[in-house]
Amino acid sequence: MKKISVKVLRFDPEKERDPHLETYLIPVNDGARVLHALHAIHDGIDSTLAYRYCCGSGQCGSCAVRVDGEPVLACMEEAREGIVIEPLKLPVKKDLVVDLLPMINALPHLEPAGEPVMLSKQDIDAIKPLRSCIECLACLSVCPAMDVTKFLGPTAMRQEMRLALDPRNKANRITEAIREGLFTCTTCQACWKACPKDIEIPGKAIEKLRAIANRNGLTLPRHQEVATLIKETGRSVPKTEPTFLELVPAEVIEPYGEVKGTVGFFVGCMYNMRLPKTALDAIEVLRRNGIRVIIPKEQVCCGSPLIRTGQLSFLDTLKRRNIDSFVFRGIDTVMTMCAGCGSTLKNDYRTPFKVKDISEVLAGCGIEPPARLPVKATYHDPCHLLRGQGIRDLPRQLVCQVIDLIEMPSICCGSGGGVRSGNPEEAAALGKRRGGEIQKTGADIVISSCPFCEFHIAGYTDKPVKNIASVLLEGYTEKDRRKGAKAVSRPNE
Amino acid sequence: MRADDCVDCHVLVIGSGGAGVRAAIEASGYGDVVIVSKTIVGKGGCTPMAEGGYNAVLREQDSCGIHFEDTMKGGAFLNDPSLVEILVKESADRMADLIHWGAVFDFTEDNEIAQRPFGGQRFPRTCYAGDRTGHEMMTTLIDHLSSTPVVQMNEVAVIDLIKDGDAVIGAIALDEKGEMVMIKADSTILATGGGTRIFDISTNSASGTGDGFAIGYRAGAELIDMEMVQFHPTGAVYPYDARGRLVTEAVRGEGGILKNMLGERFMTKYDPERMELSTRDVVARAIATEVLNGRGTKNGGVYLDVTHLPREQIEAKLPVMLEQFLKFGVDIRNEPMEVAPTAHHVMGGLRITPRCESTLRGLFACGEVAGGVHGANRLGGNALADTQVFGKRAGEAAGKAEKRTKRIDEQQIVGEHEHLIRFLEGSVSPAAVTGDLQRAMWNGAGIFRNATDLRAALAKVMHLARSDIRAASARNLPECCTFQNMCLTATLVCKSALLRPESRGAHVRTDICHAWDAQTSPFSHTYISKSHEGIMRRGGTA
Ligand SMILES: Cc1cc2nc3c(=O)[nH]c(=O)nc-3n(C[C@H](O)[C@H](O)[C@H](O)COP(=O)(O)OP(=O)(O)OC[C@H]3O[C@@H](n4cnc5c(N)ncnc54)[C@H](O)[C@@H]3O)c2cc1C
Ligand code: SF4
Ligand code: SF4
Ligand code: FES
Repeated sequence: MKKISVKVLRFDPEKERDPHLETYLIPVNDGARVLHALHAIHDGIDSTLAYRYCCGSGQCGSCAVRVDGEPVLACMEEAREGIVIEPLKLPVKKDLVVDLLPMINALPHLEPAGEPVMLSKQDIDAIKPLRSCIECLACLSVCPAMDVTKFLGPTAMRQEMRLALDPRNKANRITEAIREGLFTCTTCQACWKACPKDIEIPGKAIEKLRAIANRNGLTLPRHQEVATLIKETGRSVPKTEPTFLELVPAEVIEPYGEVKGTVGFFVGCMYNMRLPKTALDAIEVLRRNGIRVIIPKEQVCCGSPLIRTGQLSFLDTLKRRNIDSFVFRGIDTVMTMCAGCGSTLKNDYRTPFKVKDISEVLAGCGIEPPARLPVKATYHDPCHLLRGQGIRDLPRQLVCQVIDLIEMPSICCGSGGGVRSGNPEEAAALGKRRGGEIQKTGADIVISSCPFCEFHIAGYTDKPVKNIASVLLEGYTEKDRRKGAKAVSRPNE
Repeated sequence: MRADDCVDCHVLVIGSGGAGVRAAIEASGYGDVVIVSKTIVGKGGCTPMAEGGYNAVLREQDSCGIHFEDTMKGGAFLNDPSLVEILVKESADRMADLIHWGAVFDFTEDNEIAQRPFGGQRFPRTCYAGDRTGHEMMTTLIDHLSSTPVVQMNEVAVIDLIKDGDAVIGAIALDEKGEMVMIKADSTILATGGGTRIFDISTNSASGTGDGFAIGYRAGAELIDMEMVQFHPTGAVYPYDARGRLVTEAVRGEGGILKNMLGERFMTKYDPERMELSTRDVVARAIATEVLNGRGTKNGGVYLDVTHLPREQIEAKLPVMLEQFLKFGVDIRNEPMEVAPTAHHVMGGLRITPRCESTLRGLFACGEVAGGVHGANRLGGNALADTQVFGKRAGEAAGKAEKRTKRIDEQQIVGEHEHLIRFLEGSVSPAAVTGDLQRAMWNGAGIFRNATDLRAALAKVMHLARSDIRAASARNLPECCTFQNMCLTATLVCKSALLRPESRGAHVRTDICHAWDAQTSPFSHTYISKSHEGIMRRGGTA
């Protein structure tokens, strides 16, 4: 037995106006779970503590709570010193007990067709990945779309897809799914990462349902426009200024010093056509750190805007063209600097080469230290970098070499999943929320690593929004300036 | 609360596991149905925890006759043959219902329901949905229940049945705030599941506290074979707080080896032929003997080792085990698991007819709370089938029962009230004494039993039952009732164990030697009710 201290959010809505955190010092056995910590409080200190549980083994979905902000199953999560235990973000009945029923009851049901329908192994295999949901509703507590718009939520979409795959269900429910909010999902992946059963809702349900909507002619008009543009131009945004691919002087950019590595550069539509200056900054940073960069000019849109919105008809052409352009040059590592492209190449493509985000490339070669800049920054985690690629620390490590970092909660900015074009009001609401969090940090600038985020966030904060590469380059410029200044001040040394 | 202030329905179902929900679905075809559950409907009980599978005769090479024989033999011939016959005949049709309602069981390459071998069966007849079979059934049943007009009362714990003379006419319950709720019904179905939480080490969910046995007994129903408690050989021993958590039989099925602390593969001593794949009772006793004789690990278990198997096999066939143990810091690909027996299933329960009628008019029972189907030892995969076969039968019989005028006896309600009020003035929290109860049962009425220890356990339990239990607030009232139900269920187990002067199936009396075996035993069911108790002789009565 050891003693640990935990905090629990207590609240009796019938008697109290506001919840309050209570600290408990409790004895627990080695390996105890959060549930056992709650038992220790209930059995030894205060038996009025209300919490739910039943199976104690991750199978019934009764016990989900938030531990240090993240939703988990209390019966599976280890109880650690100092944790804060709070209810899910649903109406609280008492303490950690929330009202699960309205959400559970709203989930769609199978309506068996009159005649028994034969199932095949293929059907079963398709449905299975969506079937292990224990209705714990952890995913609802992290979904940004649900916070700002009418959306039935991730597990409802999972259930819609499960029904769509089942030949025994008599109805085509795609219009219902759309009414329930199919197009409000930003594909931020938060629900997947929170799910104790590891159900990949955005990829395996939402994008698939959007593809069904597409086959039923129900794709949002704004999304259709993007698809048309890609089909006609190979790019998801119209050309308004010289592109990066036009501006970059050569196909192969050699580094300044010794060659430490070679990457192929997948630019992506946004950096190519809207933020070419940022991509050029990145090239400078790479050159300075010994990376040779090869830039095939025939590359096109990665297809992410099509995949996220379920428009798959000419996706394969894009994929083939992109893969060929790198394979043809014998490239074994392709670098992206757009979180969305990176996530797409890593998760939606089957590539014969490795794909790395620029932060992985730079961290891998160990960068030349830049000068420190006298500003405070906060970092926005792009959903498709943090969750899509599991990259959290590398960008922070890079940023911290130039600037002092102030952390803020990792929340979706609202630009992804076709929401910025298809559901502008929702995107604005999420952007505003992001802006508020930035304001709270008191930082002078915002740093990120995704053109969609950078572009979108810039509309909701008065602070400059910069890419990591640009900030690193500023650090180098400052370093050179200082060196130059030194040289000037002591000319005869 | 006054007697006229209550819910009235045709069929009341108590419990929302596989049996209760199946019964409610069936009964909804006959009149208005209310289902009451201590937990959120579908989230409670042991059904969603069942991993292994569901037995059904589906192939031509198999037959109901063989399934019948396997079940009787597994049950040490204590099973009620008429109930077993129904189980094996109807289980396939109930599987078909589940499939029709949307269940996603694993299929073979030929698009048939896949089946795997399970202990004690001569044909691989266990249907499964990966290692989450019970959860798949529950999800399907709840989905279908929602398409019926059945009224669900969630997080409402039944504390007693209401009687009108000899007949049951509904139940009294407490909602989550501790307020009394009364439900009148023409027919009442008990489907509260099992009760091995009365033991220190148990696989059961938090609701496996034996409420239904106690509630039925208090109302005057007769229970049979309550001494028959199955101990599963392999429960986890670490972490301490999650001890008892089931380590599925599939681990041994895949080739897992049992070793004691000295590294000896001890099953060579107990069953050299079948080794680790011997029946549950034999393996459980072997492990218990090793630990008792000081050859166990420091956590009180033995090693269950799969490290000699290819890593891919472990990853593909035992994903849930791998994941669960990893969460607890053990990588079963590299190190052995530690396991020890754990109380798993109550074979005994309310005596029922093939129509699931209990011995009380108006009261039906199905699922684990009912007795007779599994005899002295249950085969893996038969319990899930039981919930569907007898759940449907209970729902149908209860639905078809006639409407009645139901008079509530004010006196009974007043009595219940007084009983509850006393908790609010009590002095001992249930949590403070539950552990004592569970340890007394584990030590005195566990795997190996003798009259002295059983009597000592019984005395301890009866003493604990008289504790001055206290509810810290009205919301804590259900916990108090649960504790008293656990005590009563434990009493029934001890008394029945004392009534059976033989070792049979899961029940081992080390103090009694006899020449007969299960097939030639002179004894049949033990029975116990408020008015009488005893043991029946084969082919006759008491
Ligand atoms: C870990 C584990 C694995 C298993 N694996 C298998 C397997 O693979 N194959 C197999 O055949 N069997 C298996 N079993 C056994 C099988 O799961 C159970 O016997 C069966 O599910 C019991 O179903 P039931 O409907 O009778 O009760 P349960 O599913 O236990 O449901 C009981 C219900 O009653 C409710 N309840 C209890 N008390 C009250 C009250 N006072 N008031 C209101 N409601 C109440 C509970 O909330 C719950 O909803 C397993 C059991 C366990 C514990
Ligand atoms: S991906 Fe993000 S927005 Fe979409 S359902 Fe999941 S949590 Fe909600
Ligand atoms: S999808 Fe996952 S997180 Fe959401 S309710 Fe189901 S199990 Fe829980
Ligand atoms: S108690 Fe069932 S999932 Fe945690």
